[in-house]
Amino acid sequence: MTALARLQRDFMAVLAREDAGPAAIHRRNVVSARHDALAATYPVVRRLVGDAFFRALALRYGAAHPSRSGDLHLYGDALPRFVADDPFAAALPYLPDVARLEWACHESLHAADAPPLDAAALARVPAERAHAIRFVLHPSVRLLACGHPVAALWEANQPERDGTPDRTEGADRVCVWRDASGVHVRRMEPYAWELVCALAGGASLEAALEGGAGGDAVLAWLGAGGLIAGFTLGEAAA
Amino acid sequence: MGALAARAGIGLRAPHYGEIARTKPPLALLEVHSENFFGDGGPALAVLEGLRADYPLSFHGVGLSLGSADPLDERHLARLEALVRRFEPALVSEHLSWSSFGGIHANDLLPLPRTREAVDHVAGRIARVQDRLKRRILVENVSCYLELGEPALAEWEFVDAAVRRAGCALLLDVNNVHVNAVNQGFDARAWLAHVDPALVAEYHLAGHERGERGLVDTHAAPVAPEVWTLFREAVARIGPRPTVVERDACIPPLAALLAEAAAAGAILEASREPVAAPA
Repeated sequence: MTALARLQRDFMAVLAREDAGPAAIHRRNVVSARHDALAATYPVVRRLVGDAFFRALALRYGAAHPSRSGDLHLYGDALPRFVADDPFAAALPYLPDVARLEWACHESLHAADAPPLDAAALARVPAERAHAIRFVLHPSVRLLACGHPVAALWEANQPERDGTPDRTEGADRVCVWRDASGVHVRRMEPYAWELVCALAGGASLEAALEGGAGGDAVLAWLGAGGLIAGFTLGEAAA
Repeated sequence: MGALAARAGIGLRAPHYGEIARTKPPLALLEVHSENFFGDGGPALAVLEGLRADYPLSFHGVGLSLGSADPLDERHLARLEALVRRFEPALVSEHLSWSSFGGIHANDLLPLPRTREAVDHVAGRIARVQDRLKRRILVENVSCYLELGEPALAEWEFVDAAVRRAGCALLLDVNNVHVNAVNQGFDARAWLAHVDPALVAEYHLAGHERGERGLVDTHAAPVAPEVWTLFREAVARIGPRPTVVERDACIPPLAALLAEAAAAGAILEASREPVAAPA
């Protein structure tokens, strides 16, 4: 190990524990950079637990999952699992699901852009080939099945809302996606959610529509919302 | 893009994206933190696409950890390379510091030991980044609150040696020189007197605050009067260069930042005026 590596190893160890002394400025920077990154990604978790609890949570999380990149947008991916195992958060059983939803929103926000669906090309597909259409969903689409009414909790804790959810019961299936106006969270009925999951998994239109009525309405909603970015014909899904 | 004018711009941070895009104030340069645009897509990149035609851009990195003994983060470098290819910014800069060891990131700019070993190490890594990006980059002198190891070089010697050896340019942060001069008890003018003007490609101006142990480079306050004075002296000695006023915390209304950029611009402009010939 070089002298430089030894100095850096020793200083990182100091940073991980010391709150006083000459390293205090850097220690504060480390703690606040990690806290601020989590607060930006998890505003609803923060509001649900309060600022003081969130600050302590960020410290515990940082000790268990220190940042591993110079890009702080990658920081915080393990928070849903961490709060699920955190004894201090056990009083809020829905918190891990809310955290999962917020990480999905974070991923959705930074996901790739995609040009809109080429509707004219879709209209040219002959009727006898329609069953073989495989839709490519927008890269920002995320699908979650939760054991708690997370969509209601998420909506109630947006900045303009007072925090009172419309529902306190339910096991929400949620679709997250981004358009020009921002990230959206929508609770879906089981059939519609299963259908979108099948499409996201690369199923053909015929296979995805099997065993349920109302598929046309779901497809129309996906199309109108810009959740479909393209399509392929045949076996290979893009 | 031709040569960048030696005029003033600002560090653009998220709270001002909308207002800048709407009002398009006259600025010679918009600096952004590179890592804020490392996503695959989304609104931040869309904002930057909307601004690139109107402003020269500067990508200022805070996460590459140039001085670390760890291997260079290839993912980070690949993201930066893709961003630079896409936007062809006027300037690309990073810091003469380290942030990570053993794969763990402090996400802070930590000072390097001022040794020949550290000069060789960081210069080699800067050169690799320049090879990868196929362009010259700038590195910024950082604030330093503690000594790591026995310093063999004065700060200006360390900066000069690293920049020269790497074949990069210096982003001279005037506030950091002032903060270090006050905290370490050296003369900021002596620092400036040792800088080779040919190495300096940009200035940074930012605010500091007084902490328990001295000045802290917080980027949370307006540029201090002492730093304005030092900036005037730097411009007089080194010459005018593109200049960015930065604020990263307690971000004020855009108008306040624009006023500081205008003040910096006036100092750069004054240095260009020919001295009146004696009657």
